[in-house]
Amino acid sequence: MALENLHEFLNDYFVANKCDILENDNGKLKVQLTDKMDEWLMNRPFYWQYVKKLGYAGEPMQVTFITNPDRRDEDGEWIHFGSPRLHQIFNTLTTQGKFTKLFEQVETAQRTALVPWLVVNFRISYTGKHKKDEIQSIGLHLINGGMKINMMDELEQLPLQSSIPDFCYTITPMIKLKSGYQRMITYIEKYLQKQEHSWAQESWDHLQEEKKLVEHFYQDSDEEEQYENRFDQEMQAVEDRYQPQINIDVINGGIFYLSQLQSTKILTE
Amino acid sequence: MNIQLNRDDQFIDDLDSKLNNEEKLSSWDLFHMSYQSSVATSTPEFKGLTAPNHLPHVNFLQHQLDSAQQVVEEMNGRGILADEVGLGKTIEAGLILKEYMIRGLVKKALILVPASLVNQWVNELNQKFYIPAISQRKRPVWDQQNIVVTSLDTAKRPVHRDVILEQEYDFVLIDEAHKLKNHKTKNYEFVRALKKKYCLLLTATPVQNKLTDIFNLVSILKPGYLGSYDEFTKKFGRDRKNLFNDGKLKQLVQNVMVRNRREDTGIDWTKRHVKTIWVDFTEDEQEAYDELSHISRETSNFSSITYTRELCSSREACYLSLRKLVNENNELPNRDDYEAFMQRIEQLPHHAKADKVIELIQNTDEKFIIFTEYRATQFYLQWYLQQHGISSVPFRGGFKRSKKDWMRQLFENHAQVLIATEAGGEGINLQFCNNMINYDLPWNPMRLEQRIGRIHRFGQEQDVHIYNFAIRNTMEEHVLHLLYEKIKLFERVVGNLDDILADLDIGDVEKEIQSIFQESATDGEAKIKLENLSSVISYAQNQYLEEDQHGSRESS
Repeated sequence: MALENLHEFLNDYFVANKCDILENDNGKLKVQLTDKMDEWLMNRPFYWQYVKKLGYAGEPMQVTFITNPDRRDEDGEWIHFGSPRLHQIFNTLTTQGKFTKLFEQVETAQRTALVPWLVVNFRISYTGKHKKDEIQSIGLHLINGGMKINMMDELEQLPLQSSIPDFCYTITPMIKLKSGYQRMITYIEKYLQKQEHSWAQESWDHLQEEKKLVEHFYQDSDEEEQYENRFDQEMQAVEDRYQPQINIDVINGGIFYLSQLQSTKILTE
Repeated sequence: MNIQLNRDDQFIDDLDSKLNNEEKLSSWDLFHMSYQSSVATSTPEFKGLTAPNHLPHVNFLQHQLDSAQQVVEEMNGRGILADEVGLGKTIEAGLILKEYMIRGLVKKALILVPASLVNQWVNELNQKFYIPAISQRKRPVWDQQNIVVTSLDTAKRPVHRDVILEQEYDFVLIDEAHKLKNHKTKNYEFVRALKKKYCLLLTATPVQNKLTDIFNLVSILKPGYLGSYDEFTKKFGRDRKNLFNDGKLKQLVQNVMVRNRREDTGIDWTKRHVKTIWVDFTEDEQEAYDELSHISRETSNFSSITYTRELCSSREACYLSLRKLVNENNELPNRDDYEAFMQRIEQLPHHAKADKVIELIQNTDEKFIIFTEYRATQFYLQWYLQQHGISSVPFRGGFKRSKKDWMRQLFENHAQVLIATEAGGEGINLQFCNNMINYDLPWNPMRLEQRIGRIHRFGQEQDVHIYNFAIRNTMEEHVLHLLYEKIKLFERVVGNLDDILADLDIGDVEKEIQSIFQESATDGEAKIKLENLSSVISYAQNQYLEEDQHGSRESS
């Protein structure tokens, strides 16, 4: 699955990381990196080590990225979905964008209450003979326990900010973070139980078959000495490849304070 | 059935403590982008390849995509890639590795290739596949999470061996895996002992000599799949042909082996036009040649045949060898003859072949690769071409990697001609050139195939023109006629000649021919012996061909 608009994504990324955009035109993006971004992306640790040791101000680079394939012969670095640079950026995001606390922007002159939500984005990976991922975005109303699936779709519609808006106050959660998270996990586990897991059955059957083959192979083997070791190792390798498993990982998550109005809307939709 | 379930228990504690400590947290933009990038990098389907979407700069061929998919989906990451030479086994392997890395299934890999190919693999994985592969250098990196390329010989050295065998690899690849066919060798033991999840074996010749070769290869991937050794030999015998003749075995093997043949790929291969260019010695040269044959036959030693051969290449090559002979042998019986002859060489005009080269190249802008057997000839040709305003760069197997790359670049961008002494520049791809002159023919047909393979490969968009130079009324005429034309080496795109020669127990064709010339009293005798040799080879070749066609017909 590719990003819908790679160019916009890059632009947003550098803006969000406080880099000046020097040129932005028809699939070409020229960026003045900050010190931090240069350190993260330009792979020159020795330079930065040296600069810092001597107490100099470093000179972060200017970089030109090309996202328009028709212009890839021009000066600059061609960025596409598979390019290592993009994945380097993705990697910075996994830590940079992992935890958050955000508030809905509310224009008001009266005291307004904001309701706490726990929002967690999960990646569920199904691994057997083959592997696939599924993304689940879950929001939990920490006062009334209402749960919303595809929460990110809702949040994308709202203006959000990092500081609490004027005249607003937050309501203290009734449900503790940890037990809220537990409710989400329980929900996912129930969801998984309802599914049909022919992929796992297939992989499991295959695992048993392969184990039998290995056993048979070593049964009348004359490699006595290393027999035990080898056998265990081969069995382990077979398990590693076929043991069906499901991993529930968190992509990111945090606390969102939303207005009563929005909260109700989200839960009744 | 038992599905293992793993949850993330860390996240919520971390979030809790960050909130309590009022740490700086992510903005909406970064939070949202982090989510977006995770959605973009996840693979929502069990099946299908996602790797090609990540590699828009590479044009994969259909059979490469199919093979990679087959290995991932049906063989579950353990298989033999046994395409014919030149169909891109490396590319298929790269695709498979990339696919597993994208899906997060491979983080640590060990890639074992011939020492001379280590750098090429590293480059190709990095440039073509964006796989951050590194080659094992002085400082061992075995215990880190990475993709390491090294040679089997390095890996099994005592200093590295034990560390490597402790590692748990997600992916192990062995190039030229037919070297593992014998299960009693150290190499085989070593590979068997590696802890590995996925495993690819690359070889163009999965069964080289005995049917048990395939048993041994498969036992690395899936021990027990073909039964135990005894069961296997009892059931299928030892005849290599059974791999293709025995329906049951063939089917079994097809589940662990991918083999594409050129004719199955549906690709329009550019043609090979092979032309023999006959050259006549000038009268002076011919007389000199005859005299040298005479002198050298009088004092027949092992290298005397070389002098006449060298004279067919250049005066310089011959002169240098003779000078060495005269200087180093005080007891030489007909020293006077040789010395007189050396003076005679000095008087000779330009070499007839060199003039022919000029004639061929001078009136075109096309690039040419010239292969010669001798360094002296290489120098001479470079000088002679320069005299005629033709730019050229030299190329030798002994050049360092960086120099080879540099020469290649010079040739691509500036020079018209590359003069090489050795095809040994494995991994130097010269597809941008489609003309080759074999200034003198190697006596080992395999080397000729390697030479041609430098330009007639993937990426060659033009028909390839091969010009074989041979001088009439010399030993070159015999070699060309009997060995090359009879074996029809030029017409066959891929020769399994090395297997055939191994079968016939002919270790070194070059030595074989040398001794034929050496031990024959007359030209006629040499001719008959050469004729016999080529008959034997071409007979074996036909046998192979039949067997091979039989095999491919049944499998399709």
